Amino acid sequence: MKFKFFFVKEMKKFPFFFLLLAFTLLLGTMGLVGISIVTGQVQEKLKNNANELLTSDIAVSARRELFPAEQEALARIFAPYPHQHYKIIDIYSMITHLREKATRLVEIRATEEQFPFYGKMTLRSDKFENENLYVSKDLADLWQVKENDDLQIGELVMKVKGVVEDDSSMGLRGFSLAPRIYLPLSKLLQTGLIKPGATGSFAHHYKLKDYTQDKIQNIKSSIYREIKDSAVKITLPEDSSEQTGRVINTLTNFMALSALIGLILSLVGVFYLYQSHLLARLKDLCLLNLHGLTKREIVTGIIAQFSFIFFVVMLTELALIVPLYKILAPLLSNNLGIELNGEVHILSALTEIPFLFGLSLFILVPLLLGLMRTPMGLQLKASKLSMGRFRFWDFLPFIFSLWLFSCYLSHSFRTGNLFFGSLLLVFLLSTLVVRGGQLLLRKMISGKGLLLPTIENGIALRGLTRSGHKLTLSFLSLAMGATLISLILQLDRMILKEFALDPKKPSLFIFDIQEEQMEPLTQHAKEIGAPLAYVTPMIRARLEKVNDKKYVKKKRSYDFRSKEEDEDQRFRSNSLNITYRNFLTDSEKIISGLPFPPGGAPDDRLPFISLEKRWSERMDLSIGDKLTFDIQGVEFEGIVHNIREVKWTTFYPNFFVTVEPSMIEAAPKTFLAVLPSGPKDTKLMFQRSSVEKFPNISFIDVEELVGKLSGLFIKARQAIEVISWLSLAVGLVILYGLSHDQVYRRYYDLALMKSLGFSATRLRLNLLYEFGALFLSAMSLGLFLGWLMAQVVGKEVFKLSLSVDWGRILYPAGLLTVLCLVTILASSWRAVRARPRELLSDS
Amino acid sequence: MMKVMNLRKSYGQGEAKVEVLKGINLEIIKGETLALIGKSGSGKSTLLSLLAGLDKADTGEIFVQGHKISSMSERELTHFRAHHMGIVFQQFHLVSTLTALENVLLPLELLKREGAIETARNLLESVGLSHRSHHLPSELSGGESQRVAIARAVAIKPAILFADEPSGNLDEDTGDRVMELLFKMVADTGTTLVLVTHDQDLAKKCSRIIHLEHGSLL
Repeated sequence: MKFKFFFVKEMKKFPFFFLLLAFTLLLGTMGLVGISIVTGQVQEKLKNNANELLTSDIAVSARRELFPAEQEALARIFAPYPHQHYKIIDIYSMITHLREKATRLVEIRATEEQFPFYGKMTLRSDKFENENLYVSKDLADLWQVKENDDLQIGELVMKVKGVVEDDSSMGLRGFSLAPRIYLPLSKLLQTGLIKPGATGSFAHHYKLKDYTQDKIQNIKSSIYREIKDSAVKITLPEDSSEQTGRVINTLTNFMALSALIGLILSLVGVFYLYQSHLLARLKDLCLLNLHGLTKREIVTGIIAQFSFIFFVVMLTELALIVPLYKILAPLLSNNLGIELNGEVHILSALTEIPFLFGLSLFILVPLLLGLMRTPMGLQLKASKLSMGRFRFWDFLPFIFSLWLFSCYLSHSFRTGNLFFGSLLLVFLLSTLVVRGGQLLLRKMISGKGLLLPTIENGIALRGLTRSGHKLTLSFLSLAMGATLISLILQLDRMILKEFALDPKKPSLFIFDIQEEQMEPLTQHAKEIGAPLAYVTPMIRARLEKVNDKKYVKKKRSYDFRSKEEDEDQRFRSNSLNITYRNFLTDSEKIISGLPFPPGGAPDDRLPFISLEKRWSERMDLSIGDKLTFDIQGVEFEGIVHNIREVKWTTFYPNFFVTVEPSMIEAAPKTFLAVLPSGPKDTKLMFQRSSVEKFPNISFIDVEELVGKLSGLFIKARQAIEVISWLSLAVGLVILYGLSHDQVYRRYYDLALMKSLGFSATRLRLNLLYEFGALFLSAMSLGLFLGWLMAQVVGKEVFKLSLSVDWGRILYPAGLLTVLCLVTILASSWRAVRARPRELLSDS
Repeated sequence: MMKVMNLRKSYGQGEAKVEVLKGINLEIIKGETLALIGKSGSGKSTLLSLLAGLDKADTGEIFVQGHKISSMSERELTHFRAHHMGIVFQQFHLVSTLTALENVLLPLELLKREGAIETARNLLESVGLSHRSHHLPSELSGGESQRVAIARAVAIKPAILFADEPSGNLDEDTGDRVMELLFKMVADTGTTLVLVTHDQDLAKKCSRIIHLEHGSLL
């Protein structure tokens, strides 16, 4: 009987409910699975790009050659994993172009056979071979280096074999301080540049034969355990460059949150649908109980019925997802700007299903417990059937599993906790607002007639104050939906703003300008119509003491480190470039403390120091701290006077540490300057003529660099936008389901009002007032809370600055309001057309 | 007061077509209480729905107080019902979000009647529910709900009151008390009553009984 009732009769009798339930589940889960697949693919693609940047699966490097013991430890650690290995040494050195008799700073990259494991070296002609000398394109253009030209590198003279047109490892290196040349590692040793104590980057790169994330993490942990010196750095593809790492982290977190949003919205829909259905079916369930079916058997039957629907949905989903993804992959590739693989690995899609099933089932727990608490025998005698009430702890399994799932999807306890906490807060605030609002309305209408000022409005107000938990639930669902949609759009905007590059970006970044060259160079720039900007001194320094105590780097943990800890480690370097100036650039803002007083530091006090916010946090420094720097053997002391926020993406010369002009001006230094954007010809002319006049000065073509970065940012932005809209679509479908259901529940009330003399127009007005007020208030609250959440999540998770984008608030508000009102009208259509005849006894 | 001529109504199409009313002719006099009885499926409620303007006949004419309601548009019918008719349903059908008082107030304020709140209060008092006036339908018993429904139906002093099995959902004692109240209110106001019931005893309390069988009056 049970099987027949739950699987045959019910489904035959209520095809609309089961179809709607299946559709809601399909949308929510398909969204998540789809997003997971796209996310996986995008991450895979970005990871591949990151691999290209690093050129390997993992690199272990230091600013010195690894000690023999360290090299032995590495050999031991990698031994169990079949792998390939090469070494790269990067150093900066002056080289001489013998034909031109010019000397300049270059970055020398010395490589071994098999370099690069990932990515490629594209030459203007011919193929890259590790035993030759190559120069980068920018150096060739600047210096007019041709094939077979002789370059003197240290004590060695080598012939240029070719020009590297594109080095995929250069992509996002940020400011590579000088043009690059490539030569074999064996030749570098002959140059005499590598002497004991020489500094540079000495990296050991590995490619695993059978790469897995687990293996890499194991290796990483082992290295941390065996090599205690924090000067030895482990670099994985995802953090091969700060920017790439940041983009990937941002993207991963954002996509995970988006996926979760789609899922939550659909689960709200599932809860709502099942609640309506169970209420409608309560009489029959009570009858079943009367005929001998225990409550436990009824609940088991419902679980079995739901599980059946769920797995049918999953099968349908898998059957749909493969061909759909094959069709969509090229489209997504176009939109994302990332070439996606059309292959879907069913197994990877399947990993999400147990989580989805668990969560979907847990959302039904309060309903099933409510059913267990229903006095079924008494129900048949009652004039109106009602289910047992939910209790708060009924939702605990769902809440707990949602928290776990948040952390699982965002791959971070911090992100998961923050997101989950924010959701709880939104939930509590929405409940408070809806209950408070109802109380206020109740007071307003107390003792008054129905004409407020119209009868439609009067009835609507009563509906709003007396619909009880159904209204609260609708309000919550709508407010949560609006919150999440607003959150997506706000975060998207904040990330876009963060990644947006200044249109007044510099064209050239000029560095290594000697003090005596400043004046002639500035004059020269003026003469050719390209005046220099942001001329800034740069001094190499090392933080030695804090408050007269030797600065000690925090010890790192040698086991598992989260993304956040890795970031910490990256930032916590005590060797850095500092500058002195008495003003702030457009890209700086003091967030605590005071600006430097004008006129520089007097002799009777220590000079003031300004610190960049994130660096000060990572180094545990705060206002009032006395810092002692070592500047080429001379101690320099100062007091932290303020903390600054710096927008690094402006590409202006900015520093972690800025010192008040004082005796530091006498320290050995070079200068940085930028050439603002202007005609390309002027830039080229300036570059060429400056190289001739000042051969030691180096240039970075910021436009080219920014172009590469912009490309990546645009790809990331597009990926985020696509996912935002996917979640938005899921949210809107659920909102439609909710409003349709709410209006449908009123069918008999509406038919009755019609029998009493309400015209269809007046009924529609009544619905519009009631649901319009509900939608608008929930929407307004949701959009505000979404904005608030975006600020918190953006600041805490993505390190973004606060912002208000009215467009991103008003646009979804307008769109959602119109959609919701259209939804009310559309879903009220049938109810308004209902014939009151159906109220009669034999109908 | 009401005249029905050759009223026909069928449902379905083709072979599934069922003729529910087969040419009904009927005249109801002002102040009369008419019981419409018949077995389930005889067409009682269908006839009631046509008389109350809740549904449209296939053919035939219905005149109420000289107004030909059978040819009215839905809008006109709604307006006419609001001014001249009251209906009591078997399932009570109170607006779930309105209190007992507000349910009675509803038809009065719809017509913007003067002193609507006072009238509604008096009506609730007359049905013995003044102490329950601020309760929602979910907080009322079946008998109380039906008494509110009766107060609501007579609130506008309709020319004709339709009652569809009004005691059908109540226990015998409550049903009797509710019907007593209904007849009293009808008598007090001189309202014409058309009562659909299958209860012969209840029907006998009406001034006239008509039998409906297989869509025809006997």
